[in-house]
Amino acid sequence: MAETPETVKINKWDGAAAKNAIDDAIREVLTGDLKCKESFALIDGRLFLCALAVGVALYALLWDYLYPFPQSRLVLIICVSSYFILMGILTLYTTFKEKGVFVVAKEKNGNNNRVWEASSYVKKHDDKYNLVLVMRDSTGKTREASIIKSFANFIDTNGTIVQPLVINEITKLYNSLSSDKKEK
Amino acid sequence: MFDSIFDDVKRMNKRQFIYQVLSFGMIVSSALMIWKGLMVVTGSESPIVVVLSGSMEPAFHRGDLLFLTNYPEEPVRVGEIVVFKVEGRDIPIVHRVLKLHEKNNGTVKFLTKGDNNSVDDRGLYAQGQLWLTKKDVVGRARGFLPYVGMVTIYMNEYPKFKFAVLACLAMYVLVHRE
Repeated sequence: MAETPETVKINKWDGAAAKNAIDDAIREVLTGDLKCKESFALIDGRLFLCALAVGVALYALLWDYLYPFPQSRLVLIICVSSYFILMGILTLYTTFKEKGVFVVAKEKNGNNNRVWEASSYVKKHDDKYNLVLVMRDSTGKTREASIIKSFANFIDTNGTIVQPLVINEITKLYNSLSSDKKEK
Repeated sequence: MFDSIFDDVKRMNKRQFIYQVLSFGMIVSSALMIWKGLMVVTGSESPIVVVLSGSMEPAFHRGDLLFLTNYPEEPVRVGEIVVFKVEGRDIPIVHRVLKLHEKNNGTVKFLTKGDNNSVDDRGLYAQGQLWLTKKDVVGRARGFLPYVGMVTIYMNEYPKFKFAVLACLAMYVLVHRE
């Protein structure tokens, strides 16, 4: 939906909105300026689980409408239990698999394929944006770097994201992870 | 002002938007599945009802919330409060069983009356119907919460208010990220 890199203006006092806006900016940097290709497998997995759960609920609704209650009992039991199991799986998926990762980007660098994962979190009523950037190369080595910075480092007084500052931070992290690798 | 409300949505990419719609769907379906789950557990097609009239005073008042069960193996007995449907009426009625005839093969027919009414319910039944049978029963009252259902009654009396509240909630969930 958002194709043009327009200036993003948000309510800077809304922590969730600020986090989302910075996440989006970082995604843009990784996939744009750093020429990585975004991989959607992780988020598609979550979307699939959600769609399945909603589908199960819709199916139960339809079945109960076609065959009123006492007849639909068995189908309802199956649908209700699988719905709640799916909700459990979804919770496990988001807490243990996704862990706040908002972008997975693949980088082709000659024959060296590297995967970058960025995750972030913000504590409630806090202005500190915690970013963790994880790099995984084709040999299976992982390396990570993190920064904790106030929103003020990315957003100006009007609530506009300052893209150059984001680019700067991410490039710094990117370079430090990349150069570390060469030393070893 | 209205422009900025939709800013969040406009900035979303395709997947974020789909997720937004799905998470709204999951809120609705969670409520639906809890209701259907209750139906299965209680055996009643409508496990929670709100008392709409004063015909059962002083046992139940207008606005009381009733929990129903409808296990087929439990027989209906005189003195129990049942919720039943009558052909041609949309809203089930909550009244007490007054007389009951049970046959050896297990079929029952019974007559009901509201505690606060001076006559039995034959006038409320469908044209020519004298008795209720098992298939008319929605459930039997097992517990109640006083006056909680008043909210539902007000909502139903002012449908516009209800739709406004629902629309606002839906908008909020759809437009706000996370």
